[in-house]
Amino acid sequence: MSFSQKIKTALLVMLVVSFSGCANLGVEPWERDLLAKKEMALNASPVDSALDDHIYFSKEASSGGKSFGGGGCGCN
Amino acid sequence: MKSTTNNKNIKAALTVATAALLGTSHSSQAQTAEEDSWQIDSAFLYYSETDRVSAGEAIINAQKTFEDEEVLNLKLTIDTLTGSSANGAVAQPTVQTFTRPSGNGQYQINENDTPLDDTFKDTRVQLNAQWTQPIAADYTLSTGGHLSKEYDYLSLGINANLAVDFDRKNSTFSAGFSFFHDTFSPEGGIPKPLSSMLIGDNNDSNWDENFSQTRLSSDDTKTTTDFLLGFTQVINRRMIMQFNYSYSMVDGYLTDPFKIVSVVNSNGITQDNIYESRPSSRAKQSLYAQSMYHFETNVLDVSYRYMWDDWDIASHTIDSRLRIPLGDLWGKESYVQPHARFYQQSAAEFYRAFIQKSDVTGIEHISADYRIGEMTAYTLGLKFGTLINGENELSFRLEYYRQTPTGGGREPIGVLNDLELYPTVDAVIGQVTYSF
Amino acid sequence: MTTKQFTISQCQDSHSINFNAMASPCEILVQSTDIGLANKLANEICTEVWRIEDKYNRYDNNSVCSKINEKAGHRVAIDEETFLLLNFAEQCYQLSEGLFDISSGCLRKVWTFDCTNNIPSEAEVNQVLKSVGWRKIQFDRQFITLAKNMEIDFGGIGKEYAVDRSILLAKQITNVPVLVNLGGDLAVTESRHNNMPWQVAIEHPDIERADKTTADMIVSLHSGALATSGDSRRYLKKDGQHYGHVLNAKTGWPISHAPRSITVVAPQCIQAGILATMALLQGKQAEQFLADQDVKYWSRR
Repeated sequence: MSFSQKIKTALLVMLVVSFSGCANLGVEPWERDLLAKKEMALNASPVDSALDDHIYFSKEASSGGKSFGGGGCGCN
Repeated sequence: MKSTTNNKNIKAALTVATAALLGTSHSSQAQTAEEDSWQIDSAFLYYSETDRVSAGEAIINAQKTFEDEEVLNLKLTIDTLTGSSANGAVAQPTVQTFTRPSGNGQYQINENDTPLDDTFKDTRVQLNAQWTQPIAADYTLSTGGHLSKEYDYLSLGINANLAVDFDRKNSTFSAGFSFFHDTFSPEGGIPKPLSSMLIGDNNDSNWDENFSQTRLSSDDTKTTTDFLLGFTQVINRRMIMQFNYSYSMVDGYLTDPFKIVSVVNSNGITQDNIYESRPSSRAKQSLYAQSMYHFETNVLDVSYRYMWDDWDIASHTIDSRLRIPLGDLWGKESYVQPHARFYQQSAAEFYRAFIQKSDVTGIEHISADYRIGEMTAYTLGLKFGTLINGENELSFRLEYYRQTPTGGGREPIGVLNDLELYPTVDAVIGQVTYSF
Repeated sequence: MTTKQFTISQCQDSHSINFNAMASPCEILVQSTDIGLANKLANEICTEVWRIEDKYNRYDNNSVCSKINEKAGHRVAIDEETFLLLNFAEQCYQLSEGLFDISSGCLRKVWTFDCTNNIPSEAEVNQVLKSVGWRKIQFDRQFITLAKNMEIDFGGIGKEYAVDRSILLAKQITNVPVLVNLGGDLAVTESRHNNMPWQVAIEHPDIERADKTTADMIVSLHSGALATSGDSRRYLKKDGQHYGHVLNAKTGWPISHAPRSITVVAPQCIQAGILATMALLQGKQAEQFLADQDVKYWSRR
C-alpha cells in the first residue's frame, strides 16, 4: 500500500470506529456547560479562519477541508 | 438516595445542572439580548513577505439571530495587494529582462536574483451573505451567496448546506455543496500557453501587433463545484470532534497567465521563457479531522487535513491552537492563544523549476509556480484578547509564516547549481480584531 | 393578581426597593446612594421577576404553565427558557429518584393543608396519583406533551429561578453589592463594601427554645444564595399524627418525619432550593442527607 493509501485507510478507519462507538458517546443537555462556551465552537474565530484561509489559498496548493474551498478570488 | 455513594454526586450534579439552566454570566443574558441585536466583528490584517508581496485586508462581519433560531450573516471584505511575486523564471548569472503581463513595458532583474514581477497592485471587494434556519426539528438549512470583484477578476458563488442532529444533538450529519463561476480578464489578455514571452521594446511600431500574436483571448472562465460531507460528535462534556470529506471539481482556465517557465540549455543558461500551461480541470479530495478539548481552563484545538488531487499533489496540514485564559490579569477576561501550523505538499505532476530545451517538444502542461511545487511551510503565532467595556472583545494576533519550497529530487544543471532555485519565503502577519 | 409597582426608600448607604411578586413580599437591597441606579435596578429586576411570574404561574390562565396544563394530552410549543427549566426539573427528578416531581401538583386536589383533620382516603389519593408521574411527560427543545389530566407546577423552582435571573441582571447593570430577596429565597451579587457580609434574618416561629420564645436567626452571607423549603404553618393533624405538607410524589402521601423547614446556603438560589426540598423529601434523614452533601443548612423540626 502506498503511503497516501495508508493515510486514506487510517482516516476512514477512524471514521468507522467513531461511528461504532457512538452509542456510549455524548452528553445530556444539562451537561453542556463547557461545550456551550464560545471558545468551544468548532469554528471559534470565524474571522481569523476566513483571513487565514485566504492567505493559505493564495500561497499553497490546498484549500478547504473544514469548509468549502471554492473559487472566490484571483489571488493565485 | 439510600446509598451514600450516590449522595456525594448530587451536589456536583446540581451545580452542573444549575449552570446549564442559568448559563454563564454572559451567555444567559446574551440568550435574550442576542436575539434582537447585531453582533459585529471587524478586523484588519496586514501580511508582508520579506522583499515580496504585501497585503492589507479588512473584514466587517455582521450577524443577527432572529426568533426561532434563524441567523443572517453579512460580510464585507476589502483587500489590497502590492509588491512583487516570483514569475516562475529561474535566476541567472546575468541581468535578465522580462515583459510586463500587460505588454506595456519591461522590467529587469539583477544577476543571481530570483525573478520577481512587481506589476501586481490590486484591490478587491467581496460580499458574502448567509442565511441559516431550522426547517424541522433537528434539521437546519443554510444557504448563501458570494460576490468578489477586483480589477481583472469577477467571482460569483452560491452554497447550500443541510445539517441533521441526532441523539440529543450529540451527533450531527451535514451535506453541502457550493458552486462558483469566475471570470478572469487579465491585463494584456490570456497568453498562448507554452508560447515564448516576447522581449523587446514596447515603443516599437510593430510591438502591439507582435504582442497580440502571443495572446489567445482577452478573458476566460472557470467553475468550481464543491461537495462537503461532515460528521460532528460530542465525545464527552469536555470534547467534541468533527470529520469532513470533501470533493472539489474545478473546470476551465486554471493556468496562471502571469507565470512563465525558463527554457535552459545544457549549461543552465536561459534561452527562452515560455508561458506556463496547466490542465483544464482539477479534481481535489480531502479528509479532515478536528477535535476540541476543554481542560480545567484551557481549550485545545487540533486538526489534521489530508488532500489529494489528480495533478498528483498530496498535502498534509496539522493546525493547533491552545487558548489559555488569563482571568483578569491584563484586562478583563483576557486570554493568550499560541498557534502552530505545519504544512507539507508534494509537487504537481507537471511542475518543473525549469526545463531543458531538448525536453520541450511533446510537453503538454508545465508550470514553475513554486506554489504547486514540493514545499514545506510552518506558521507560529500568538494571539492576545481581552474584553473592553465589559462586553466587547479586542484581540491582537501576530504570526510568522515560513514557506520552504524544495526541489523534489530534480537535479539542477550547469550554472543553476550555484544559484538559489527554491528560495524560502518569509512573511509576517499582524491582525487586530474588535467585536461588539 | 400582583400589583405591579415598587417603592424605593433610602437608608444610610443603601437603597431598598420593595414590591410584591409570586404571592410574597419581595425586596432588593443595593448598597449605593445613587437613586438613578436604584431606579434602574428596580425597573429591570421587577420586570424580569413579574415576567417569570406571569409565564410560569399556575394560577394565571394566561401563563405558559396554564396553557401547557390546559392542553394536556396535546402537543404544546415551548421556548428555550421553558425547555431549560424542564431539563432542570428532569435532572432533579432523576437525582431524587422520583421523589421530586413537578407533575405532582395535582395532589393538592385531595390534600388541602388547612390545619384541620381533613385527610383524604387511600382511594382518593390513588385516583389522583394516576395523573402524576414525570415519566408520562414527553418533551424536547420545541414541544411538550403531558398525558391527559396531568398538570405541571413550576412552584418548586420558579421563585428561586427568578432570584438567580435577577442576580445575573444585577451583575450586568452594576458592580455595586446587591441583594435580591423574593419571599425569603434570596441571593447576593457579592459581599457588601469592605468585604462585610450581608446580615440575613431567617424567620422561624417555632424554634424550640428553653423559654419557648421565638427568635430570628441571623445568617452572615458573603456570597451565594439562601433558600428555605417547607412551611411549618401548613399542616394537618389527625389522631395525634402530624402530617407535614411535603408530599411523596410516588405514593401520594406526606413524607413522614420531615422537618418543618430547611434552609440551605449554596452558590445559586435554585441549587439551594432544590437541596432544601430534596432534604425534606428524605424525612427523618433530612439532616444526614445535607451533612453528607457537605452543605451548610439549618433545620427546624
